[in-house]
Amino acid sequence: MSAIYFDDVGVDIPIFDVSKASLKKALLGRTIGSRFGESGSHVTVRALKNISFQAHDGDRIAIVGDNGSGKSTLLRVASQVYPPTSGTVSIVGNVAPLFDATLGMSMDATGVENIQIAGTIWGMTRAQIKNSIDDIAEFTELGDYLTVPVRTYSTGMMLRLAFAIATARDPEILLIDEIIGVGDRAFHEKAFKRMQRLAERSRILMVASHADDVLRGLCDKAIWLNQGNLVEFGELERVLAAYRGQALPARETALA
Amino acid sequence: MLVNVQDVASERAVPPRAQAPPPTTAEVRRPPPPRQGVAAAISAELLAGLRAWPIWMVLGWDDIRQRYRRSVIGPFWITLSMGIFILLLGVIYSRLFHTDIRTYIPFLSAGLTVWAFIAQNTNEGCLAFAEGARIIKQIKLPYSIYILRIVWRNLIIFMHTVAIFIPVALIFRVPLSLATLLVVPGLVLVCINVTWVALLLSILSTRFRDMQPIVATLVQIAMFTTPIMWPVESLSDGRIIAEINPLYHLIDIVRAPMLGTAPEPLSWLVAGGVALLGWALATAIMVAKHRRIVFWL
Repeated sequence: MSAIYFDDVGVDIPIFDVSKASLKKALLGRTIGSRFGESGSHVTVRALKNISFQAHDGDRIAIVGDNGSGKSTLLRVASQVYPPTSGTVSIVGNVAPLFDATLGMSMDATGVENIQIAGTIWGMTRAQIKNSIDDIAEFTELGDYLTVPVRTYSTGMMLRLAFAIATARDPEILLIDEIIGVGDRAFHEKAFKRMQRLAERSRILMVASHADDVLRGLCDKAIWLNQGNLVEFGELERVLAAYRGQALPARETALA
Repeated sequence: MLVNVQDVASERAVPPRAQAPPPTTAEVRRPPPPRQGVAAAISAELLAGLRAWPIWMVLGWDDIRQRYRRSVIGPFWITLSMGIFILLLGVIYSRLFHTDIRTYIPFLSAGLTVWAFIAQNTNEGCLAFAEGARIIKQIKLPYSIYILRIVWRNLIIFMHTVAIFIPVALIFRVPLSLATLLVVPGLVLVCINVTWVALLLSILSTRFRDMQPIVATLVQIAMFTTPIMWPVESLSDGRIIAEINPLYHLIDIVRAPMLGTAPEPLSWLVAGGVALLGWALATAIMVAKHRRIVFWL
């Protein structure tokens, strides 16, 4: 049983410019007072505003929206990396985020060592890691390269390994942020198949992407975000059609 | 805005799924919202990190392995340079302080290895979250993991540097006694102390980027103002200068047993008291700010 509940969730992300983030300025601001302008307060961006939705077992949700609309922020909140500034988030089930495929990659370590490091971070047991090594070797087609430092890999090899490690687990809730847009065509197809298999095993899937065909292959529902607002949540084709055919609301500044 | 997910038509072809059809909303017992109290924060950010020991051990080991890669002696380079430093300083300073080189060199090497452990943890503590940023931004793990990784890897490095003390102890006949066993609780108390220092500094220097160079400077100054390279006795009636310095007591609870004597009870008291106060402060700041840290990275 897994579920995701968002209730009126808002996220403010503080932006520090270099001078504001310095201790000296904070102390000066305090002692000298208002002469240094708004020291102490800083610019924040409302990355998400009043988002409410629920996801239950079997939901495969696409997240669509323009750049900066809050797709990645939404996924980071769902993965509990970002605590919401307002509202509540409840998650039932273990979450596997796939945002930055190179998580835990140690450049001077060998492929196998990297599988061990990343696997441990992902919460896999020693036995699970050992079992997954063959599967990863097969998927990546790296063979003996797995025993040499990752530093010597080509970009494509590195990506294959990172992707294979990140998808080696059996998560209940899988969150994917636009990661399969890279790599060559052969890898792309292979990666897509692996993701589909993974999506079948996990109970809830959320994918942020700009590639409609990827979303169609993986999802059946969609959330449309615009400037941090949830515009629509519903059946994939309907939301996609609305999003693609939209007359975008006049762009207002997202800075609060 | 609450969107009802049940009224969605799903006639579209989607990949076949292994599970039963989704239950209705009523079947799903909604969990209570996550707890946000002080106890919950301590448990989620600090205690859970201790329980996740495989993660920080693996990360710490990888840091060490990194130093061995393409280097024959790896971290023993630190031991070697410390050895040369101790030898030269021992010859010169023992004359400067008019002390016997046979007691000065063991004193210096014991003190310096313990100090290096404390100083490394302090300096590297400032960068704990910056170092783990890629992990922090992707997967929610207890923040204490990134701190314990640093303490753990420095403990391994301490095991390398302390190797310098063994030949010194043999050559200069440092006595072995029951008091020597006090090294273990002493080292444990030092670890407890450096952990809160690293935790506190990691939070502060993630928010304030100037913190790290300030800390590095203070650590440098502390090395000269704490009795590490000079014996307390050389202060004669000015001993108080050393004794009001908690670092002196922290070092001495490991150094004294290494030299075969029991540390003064005062040193235990100070080290224990500093641990309590420091942990209270570091925990308070962690509880207050743990929801902000990821946004500061």
